[in-house]
Amino acid sequence: MHNHTQKPHVKTQKKLLLMGLPNVGKSAIFSRLTGLDVMVSNYSGTTVEFTEGPSRFDHETYRLIDVPGVYNIQKSHDDAEAIAIKMLNDNPEGIIFVLDAMNLEPSLHLLLQVLEYDIPTIVALNRNDLSTHRGIKIDHELIARRLNVPVVPTIALLGDSLELLREKTSVLLNHPKTNHLKVPDENERWKTVEVLLKRAVMYPKPNGKETQQASFLVKPFPGIPIALLILGLVFGFVIGFGMGLRQWILLPFFDGLIFPWIELWVHRLIESPMLVEMLIGEYGFLIKGIEWPFALVLPYVVSFYIMMSILEDTGYLPRLAVLLDGMFKKIGLTGSSVIPLLLGYGCGIPAIMATRSLPSKKSRLSVAVMVSFAIPCVSQTGAFIALLVEYSLLALIMVFAVSIIALMIVGFVMDKIQPKAMPFTLMELPPLLVPTPKIIAKKIFLRIKHYIKDGAVPMIIAIFFTAIFYELGALSYLGERLSPLVSGWLRLPTEASTPLLLGVIRRELAVLPLIDMNLTTLQFFTASVVALFYVPCIAMIATLAKEFNIKTAIGVLLFTTFTALFLGGLIARIGALFL
Amino acid sequence: MGLRRRKRLQHRYLQPEIDQMHGLNIGEEAIIYDVPDLRLLASLGIRIGKPIKVITKSFAKGPLVLSVQDRHVVIDRKLAEQIIIKR
Repeated sequence: MHNHTQKPHVKTQKKLLLMGLPNVGKSAIFSRLTGLDVMVSNYSGTTVEFTEGPSRFDHETYRLIDVPGVYNIQKSHDDAEAIAIKMLNDNPEGIIFVLDAMNLEPSLHLLLQVLEYDIPTIVALNRNDLSTHRGIKIDHELIARRLNVPVVPTIALLGDSLELLREKTSVLLNHPKTNHLKVPDENERWKTVEVLLKRAVMYPKPNGKETQQASFLVKPFPGIPIALLILGLVFGFVIGFGMGLRQWILLPFFDGLIFPWIELWVHRLIESPMLVEMLIGEYGFLIKGIEWPFALVLPYVVSFYIMMSILEDTGYLPRLAVLLDGMFKKIGLTGSSVIPLLLGYGCGIPAIMATRSLPSKKSRLSVAVMVSFAIPCVSQTGAFIALLVEYSLLALIMVFAVSIIALMIVGFVMDKIQPKAMPFTLMELPPLLVPTPKIIAKKIFLRIKHYIKDGAVPMIIAIFFTAIFYELGALSYLGERLSPLVSGWLRLPTEASTPLLLGVIRRELAVLPLIDMNLTTLQFFTASVVALFYVPCIAMIATLAKEFNIKTAIGVLLFTTFTALFLGGLIARIGALFL
Repeated sequence: MGLRRRKRLQHRYLQPEIDQMHGLNIGEEAIIYDVPDLRLLASLGIRIGKPIKVITKSFAKGPLVLSVQDRHVVIDRKLAEQIIIKR
């Protein structure tokens, strides 16, 4: 997950690197040692951009840098490896190397490469609990003696032994020592690792059971039926739980308690009818500014992120990627593209950032465009559900069907217009884990906080200005101007120009104002499809420009808007034939 | 590497137990005989002399899932064609 929002200013120039393979818990150690909140997940490549934060070691503050996980340190096309090399050459004071107890061989191989840089290094033997649970016995003292580095067994997710790690790191930093271990040859290096492992590790006798891999999940049968079942349950939970939260908790709370109270006080305190309208009228800021972000959208943000966080931490997503790999190959992508696509149903920005872990430039661009084009973000999904669920469940399902069909078409087109390239899949499946409730809760909390800061607050500001412009008559004036498009082409009432205008600012605002309008089912559907493809949010356009270039961003902007209006008119006409 | 590889491939026709990795069936076990020079493969445990087991082969052009030591590795069919194994 990206962390560009969280880069606290750190004064000290003394750097300490946190390194290791992908998905070994570096980010978990990072957040414990710095006290900063970073997202951790059970799949590789969660940290695509390095994160840094201040951390204290014995009265001195260091810049702790969470280096993206790599398997090797060599000059290559790999972004993460390039970053790791740059960091190592940037005179760090020391390295905390995270050794994965579940995956010692490549971990030690990487450690040997890191030790060649002659930088004082301490080793955290992480996920010690998982290996012990599996009956693997690791003699960490032997590893420490052989490689001449301090080794501390840790369980980062639970915070075990991290203070001991901090203490030992302080000792190392006060009395820096390097060990001059050089194994220049690749084959020699593997041999050294194998010899070391033979002595230091005792594996249990195999009992024929594969408890943590659950290989049936990646077999076409029963893997695919299970995947459909899981995705169906996720969809059902997101809608069901969200609706329950809204219907039984949030709406009674706001409609029954808060809004009458606000209305009472506004009428008591304010004389001017125009001001009253602005505050509690049609687009009344005090009503809609609370109702839309918190009563209509928030429930779905909560239910979506509960599901997403659980899916992420179980390690199921990479298994889904394996099942879908063959299908994605048809459009020149790898199965791992499914992760950014699913993240897109939350928010497009982390999704676009997550494309960094995809294997090629081409697949990055394809997936980013697919996300911007046809995947509604969680706010918009919440708005769709709030709008359609009461009128027509079928229309709701059809909106999502349109989204998925469009996704395939965009993927296909992106494959055709870019030069041919065949990325190949090569990855390790993380162990299947039961998520830790505490970690899940923290993740959901972080994401809701993020929604309030980057979603609800801009929404409230937009509603504030809408209330003013609406009461001043500016919206109805613009609406008149847009009437040939709105009533003529899309066959919607003139008042439906308001969501179109607001949709430019935020995606869900292209949907929410429709709720109070009196439309036919066809009109609701038309307006929803328009909203689905309509202008992606401004933050997303900016991310596209930053991650790719301005041309891409503008291209996506123009093309989605055109598609939205074109398809909307088409649906209005075709639908009229049937209804 | 090139010459050694070609020799091994020639050998293949004389030794029926030598095959490309994607020729293995689900559940079959084998020893890695030759691999392309790709460091990520080595890190994932796919090195000469290592035992592997095919867990599943996906339909369409999907990847193979291998059990390598106690890990599960997903490997593209195209890449599996370039890996030579010994049954």
